[in-house]
Order: sequence, then structure tokens, then C-alpha cells
Amino acid sequence: MNLDDMRTHADDDIVDVVIVGTGAGGAPLLARLAERGLRVVALEAGPNLGPKGFTNDEVGAPRINWMSERLSGGDAPTAFGPNNSGWGVGGGTLHWGAFTPRPDIRDLNLFTESGVGADWPVDHAELIRYVAEVERTIGVSGPNPYPWDPDREYLDPPVDRNAAADLMAIGCDRLGIRATDAPAAILSRARDQAHHGHRHASRNLGTIHQGERFGTKATTANTYLPAAVAAGAEIRPDSMVHGIERDSLGRISAVVYRHDGREHRQRCATLVLAGGGIETPRLLLNTGLANSSGQVGRNFLAHGGVQVWGRFDEQQRAYRGYPSALISEDFVRPDGVDFAGGYLLQSLGVMPLTYATALVRGGGLWGDDLMEALDSWRYSAGIGINGECLPAEDNRLVLSDEVDEWGIPRAIVAFSPGQNERAIDEHATATMTRILEAAGALGTRVLARTAHTLGTCRMSADPSMGVVDGDGRSHDIPNLWISDNSTFPSSLTANPGLAQLALSLRTADRMLR
Amino acid sequence: MIGYDGTIYFLAGLGFGAAASAPLAHCLGERFHVVGIDLPGQGGASDAADGSVQTMADVALAAIEAEADGGPFLLVAHSMGGKVAALVAARLLSGSANVFGLAGAVLLAPSPPVPEPMDDDKRALMLAWLADGGLSEVDAREFVAQNVAEPLRESSEQDAVAQVRQTSPLSWKRWLTEGSTEDVSAVVGVLDLPVVVLAGEDDEDLGASAQPRLLAGVYPRARFVSLAETGHLLPYERPDEVAAEIERLWQTTVEASPQVPAEWGRLIASGRTGTEERGMLARRAIADDPHYAPRAISQAQLTTLRALADRLVPQPGMRRIDLAARVDGDLTAGRGDGWRPAELPDDISAYRIGLDAIASVWPHDAEQQDTLIRRIIAGEPVTDAPWDDDALSLWFEDVRNDLARAWLAHPASLARVGYDGFATSAEGVEPAGFVSLGAGLRDPWEPGDLGTPVTVSEADE
Repeated sequence: MNLDDMRTHADDDIVDVVIVGTGAGGAPLLARLAERGLRVVALEAGPNLGPKGFTNDEVGAPRINWMSERLSGGDAPTAFGPNNSGWGVGGGTLHWGAFTPRPDIRDLNLFTESGVGADWPVDHAELIRYVAEVERTIGVSGPNPYPWDPDREYLDPPVDRNAAADLMAIGCDRLGIRATDAPAAILSRARDQAHHGHRHASRNLGTIHQGERFGTKATTANTYLPAAVAAGAEIRPDSMVHGIERDSLGRISAVVYRHDGREHRQRCATLVLAGGGIETPRLLLNTGLANSSGQVGRNFLAHGGVQVWGRFDEQQRAYRGYPSALISEDFVRPDGVDFAGGYLLQSLGVMPLTYATALVRGGGLWGDDLMEALDSWRYSAGIGINGECLPAEDNRLVLSDEVDEWGIPRAIVAFSPGQNERAIDEHATATMTRILEAAGALGTRVLARTAHTLGTCRMSADPSMGVVDGDGRSHDIPNLWISDNSTFPSSLTANPGLAQLALSLRTADRMLR
Repeated sequence: MIGYDGTIYFLAGLGFGAAASAPLAHCLGERFHVVGIDLPGQGGASDAADGSVQTMADVALAAIEAEADGGPFLLVAHSMGGKVAALVAARLLSGSANVFGLAGAVLLAPSPPVPEPMDDDKRALMLAWLADGGLSEVDAREFVAQNVAEPLRESSEQDAVAQVRQTSPLSWKRWLTEGSTEDVSAVVGVLDLPVVVLAGEDDEDLGASAQPRLLAGVYPRARFVSLAETGHLLPYERPDEVAAEIERLWQTTVEASPQVPAEWGRLIASGRTGTEERGMLARRAIADDPHYAPRAISQAQLTTLRALADRLVPQPGMRRIDLAARVDGDLTAGRGDGWRPAELPDDISAYRIGLDAIASVWPHDAEQQDTLIRRIIAGEPVTDAPWDDDALSLWFEDVRNDLARAWLAHPASLARVGYDGFATSAEGVEPAGFVSLGAGLRDPWEPGDLGTPVTVSEADE
């Protein structure tokens, strides 16, 4: 994005707020605070690429992903990099899937409902007001009426269905499962985005996870960040924060970061961490701050993401079109089950190398079986889930002895699914297999997967149970806030992007009180 | 159906045009489609706006674009044409021309990307020939005679002299005073391309003894062939030897590696595919170096990785991608995937340790090899394993994934599995993306094997 004429601040200036990160957690807040006249600076570890700097080639595309190595442990080691981690001005929204179901009230009250997991110290109705504001701002396309929420209205019609969506619709219809066009932050109609410019209508690209050049997909770099800069915010790319300084009262006074090979120190009155579920706890553990609860790094959450793929007679080539064009919320609370929470279903088309990795890692394939499966890819359509993940203390991020290129200890993240996650997986696998078979699949294949990096600095009403309060403010340090998905107490069945954008605005308004 | 295996684009030296490819074409026979290219002012072609090598490369690329069929081709270039060919190859490998299919180059006493070593007296004499406004019959005969070790046969000599006489005086002067002295080495860079450089032992500044020094850094994979009793005019002096080297290079590159179908090659070449993507696909399509020297792992470890690749990502038949070499290249460049199992050391160390462990228990028999692979994947104990069973299995998962992705990233593999999404993000092409999304259907621009074409209307702005 264009940063040429932005307002700048000197390192010695005590700016009102420094925000670390420019993705779904940092950007809306940056814009809101700038629009209210605060002097704000965002520090982004990655570069400012711009749409022309993206490539749809899967080998080249990780230039928008956090590729500095993370270490994964546990029974189901989490894949980072292109799977879930953003890099550059725009953060995770550069690579996100733009699949934007709204958070469900039952998921926010999971503990009250089921006695397991955690409740969110957030009012659902209030959150939804912010969600609706985000949807208008970034441009979310979707169907009216929405079967599971008749009062909801999408301002733009849904994007085109691809072959995988068509098949899932057929299968669901034959089984009496409700399914419809997915809400997506992909424009179905072109628009002029304030302070950014023209954004095209959908080009039916399946390559949106690699970065999208036409602006059909909303990112913070084509929505909130240009608005923030227009309102006087400064964004500093290539700036990796590794230190936090405090005054004699223990309040944050400055952040220390590396830029162009040199150390910089930006003074600030307030600090917001928005680096996501890995970088925020890593920074806090490395600086030893805001952890009187001992909760920093704990309760790492990864959505269940199991996929079932069916093989059909005709070429599906579901890499064409928006990859997740169909949704079903019928299993947010399935009947007659012995697990808490539930899952969303989405139709799936994926890129070739991503599919190959899923076959190898998630399907255990090799040799002739692998080659045969790759040759069958064009005849295949998939369905995947976003499944609830309950917090568990031992699913945890800690620091390694090994340091990264900035001299910061690498993160070690251990993740093992519990009984509830396994039960959801099993139920979803059976459901998806039935749908594909009903749609006429000649054969099906299950590919294991998890998604997203949540929960490592969770919000809690009780200061001993979490790192920040329901507004996002640190329980320990009054001028430290966290605005990213590390604060999620439970994973939600909805994908996290939209909820996070909304929470970011909400935290900004709390800061302005 | 095209009736030939591939195309040869021929770029001649100073004084010669497309017609100088005739002796070579005769030796190659029907198997190759030989396309001679007139550089500016040569062979009767008009002069260009300036005498820069870039402008000559523009002309050559325009001619190649006009003729290109999407199938594999070699550049064959002589002397001055060799300097142009270096720029052409660099542009093709960066994707900045609407051409796809470069497989390698055969260079004949080529002028290097750096200023050409040329004797001052020789340059002065050649410029003096222009004093009367053009190259006379006598001057042309002297030029040909100076550049051969033994006199050419009468008919060849007549052809050569006639060619030289067609050269425009301006282009002659420009090459001697501008093009030959230009330094384009920074633009050309290093070209990791299968290349054979032939040169005569009786040539002077661009002879066999000079070429390795001039070009080994530009073409690290170059094989240098020295021709006895040969001067500088290889296309006329040694067409049989040049043809034999072309056939040999073709056999060890195009015929030894998976090929992108011509229709797919044309799509990659087209304006639908972005420049950067075209360049990446062009570089990946280049056949692997049979003498690849690993940098991240040892030669023995590379051998083990190749053996594993044969079982994990089988490529039956003679056309192969050296997946192990490509993984070594990725490891060397630090191209990881952003994470690794916590129990394992960094990627390169893990590969070294893991491959040594596999080598010590690797059976000869394919069936036993598969049994071992199944044991590792299942996390069962393996003799002398460096890590616990689960960690070995996790490392092995990385190996399987790296090899599979190396295979699939090759454009011939993408064509085989039916992926053309690389052709959807170029600027100025509308509709840039896909319009028909249904099963069994394709957009008109998509390759024919992808479904039934649907006529589309303009995408909604």
C-alpha cells in the first residue's frame, strides 16, 4: 500500500499508541484511534509489498507468510508458515481465506452451556454490532436470507459457486442438510474503497491464499490501513519488535525494535500487541511481562480442520473460483452427540502444492498411491470443517534455547487434540463422507489438518485465569493491551478473521473511553 | 501435428544472417525445425534504431515470439549472436518475453557478455573496409578467409561471402564500436542453463582456449568443446560437429526430462501468465544437471535421497526430475516451510543425520525398501535411528513432502495434474480469472484437455 505521504513521528516523540502488527487485530484499531485524533504508530515485522508484489505461484507465495521457523510438538504438531501465519503490511489478512461466518452466541457461552471450555467475557450482541460494521467496511458478500440467522442482511450478493460448492450443495440437499452460499470478504460487485481506490469484483480466483492482486479480497492493506494512514497514522514496515521498556511505575514507556539492521526505540503512552497467537506470547515471555497469572503461552488453540475429498467422474478443478463458496452451519450444535461445541462445514478447492502436502502429511500417502491421488486431484472436490477446540493448559507455547534471526528465542508450540476434538473430528468426517457419497463420489479420502493460531494470551474476567480482561487490557499493566486472536478463550466454530476485526474495533473503543 | 521434435533458433555472427543456418539445418535433417534469425543489418535486414546489444536481443525475441509454438527449443548462436543469446536467455528465464520452452543453448565461438577481447589492429582493419561505403567482394573474401582454419569449399565460400556483402555498413560499424565493447554481464547475470560452448583451436580471441575463462562464470553448467583445425566460422566450417552437439544436448535435456505439452507452453508464454510466474516456470522446466554437485548435503547423502525419491515420488520411464537435487537446492537457499518438529535440529542438519541413518539400513531390493519406508512412516523402530521413532517419522514426513512439492512445482507436473491457475493474474488481461467454474467445463483460453469450452462474456467491472 502507498505509505509515501503518511505522517511520521520521531522515535523520541511520546506517541499516544504504538501497535505491533497490522493484520486483523492491529489495523481496525489503528484506523479507529487515528480517526479519533490519536498519534499512532504501527510496527510491522514484514515488508510493505503491495498487490503487485504478490505471486500466485505457491513456491513464491510465502513472501506473505511468517517463515521464520517455529518449533512444533505434541501429538498433532501444528504446521505454521503458509498454513496460518501472515507477514507484511496487512498481516494474516494477506493470505486469509476471507471466509467470514459470524461468531455464534452459543460458542461465546460454551462453558455455561456445556460445563467445559470457557465463556467469553464479551457480550455477543455488542460484538455482532461491530461485526456488522466490519462487514460494511471491508465488503462481505453473502446470501439473503441467511438460513441460520434470518435477521442478518448482506449488502452484496454471494460470489459464484465453483464445482466443489455445487457438489456439496447436491449432497446436502439429498440428505436434508441446509447449506448455502458462504459469506466471504470477496467483492461480488466492484467498489471504490475509501482512501484506497478501486477494488475489482471477484475474478473467481482460487489463488487468494497466495495474495490477491485485484483487490477483490478484503485485506487490512486495502481497507483499514489506508483509512488509518489518511487519518494520520504511521506504519513502519520491516520493523521487528523485540523489547518493551517500562517506567519506574511499571508502565510501558517504549518499545524496542530492529529496522534496517539497527536498533530503534519508540516511546509511547500506550502499547497494543497485535502480532497474533504466536508472536504476542513470544514477545511477552521473552520480556517477562504481563504474566502474573502464568497464563501467557497457555491454552494454544487450533481449529479442527479435517477434510474429506471425494473423487468424481468429471473434472472438478476446484482451484477455480472462491475456494470455500458453500457453507453449512447445521453442525454448530449437532443432535445426539457426546461432545461440546460443534463445527462449520465449507466446500473446498485447494491449490495443487497445498493438496500435495495435505495428501502427504494428512493422508500419509507416498509412492504410486500418492501419484495416483495427485492425478485424481482434478476430479476431486472436498469438504472441510472449522471445528471447536477446547482450551487445555498443556497445549502451550514456550521459548526455545534456539534464537531466530533477530536474536529472539524461537517459539515451541505443543498441541495435542483432546477427547472433545477427536470426537468432533470423527463426527465431522462421517458427515462429510455421507455428503460426498450422496453427491455421487466414486471414493472418498480423509485428510487430517488443523488451522489457526489462537488462545495463548486469553481474555478472562478473573485475572488469575487469563492475560487480558474482556476489553483486551492487560490484567497486570494498565497501559498494555492485546488486540489479536491470542486473546480467544475458546476457538469458536466460526473462522477467526471476522471476529478478530470486530474485536479490534471494540478494543479501540474501550481504549477511547 | 508438427513434424519435428523441436526448434532451433539460430543467431549468427557479424556479417551473417538467417541464411547462415542452412549448413546446420542440412546436417540436422527433418528432426529439428531450424529458424534462422536476421539480427539488425544482417542478411539484408534493416538497421535498428541503435546498436546496443539490448536492441539486438529485442529483435531476436520478437522473431522467436513470432515463430514459437510452445514446444521445447534450443538457442544456437555464433560469435556476435552469442552475446545476444546471453541476453535472450536471461530474458526468457526471467519470464519477460512471451515465449516458453527454452531447454538450453549451443554457443559457437560466442562473443561474451563482457566487452569482447578484440585486437585493435583487427578492429581498425574491419572498420577500414567501410571506407568506400560498404564491404567489397575483396574485403568480404578476406574477412571469410581470416576466420577459417582451412579454406571453405567453393560453394560454402560463395554463400558466406554473399552473406557478408549483404551486411549493412552501419550495423558492421555499430558492432565493432558499440555492441562488441558493451558490458552486459550485469544484466545477464549467471545463467543456470544446459549449455555447450564449441570453439576452434585456430580461432584467436574467441577460440577454444579463451572461452572457459570468458564464460564459465556466466554458464556454470557449460561444457566446453574444443575443435581442432577450426577457425571462427563454425557454422560453415563444422556444421556436422555442431549438429552432433545439438543432438547430444537435446538427448540429455529435452529427452531426459518431463516436457510441457506445447499447448500448455503457449499458455505459459501468453499474456495471461504474469512475468514473474512465467520466469519461475521457465527455470523449473530446465532439465536438471546430471553432474549436480550438492551443497547442503553430501554426494553420498544425495545418492540416498535420490534412492528415496524413486520410491516416494516415483517417475517411471526415462524422463525425470532430479527431485533430490532440487530439494538440496531448496535447503541451500533456506527455503523452508516456516516450522519443524521440535525434536529435530535445523533442516539441513536433520537431512544429513536422517539420510545417513537411512543409508545404513537401506536394502537393495525395492520391496524391502518399501517395507522400510512403511516402518518409518508407522513410527516403528528402525535400527540405529538417530531420534526416537516418532521423530524419525516426522522428519521422514518432511522428506516426503519436500520431494512431492519439488515434483509438482515443475510445469510439466502442473500440466499433468491439470492446473492452469498460474494464468490468472496478469495485468491488462480481462477476464483475468476464471468465468466458467462448473464441472467438466473450461474457459476458451484453457488447454483443451481441461473440459468443454464455454464462451464467456466480459467479467463485471
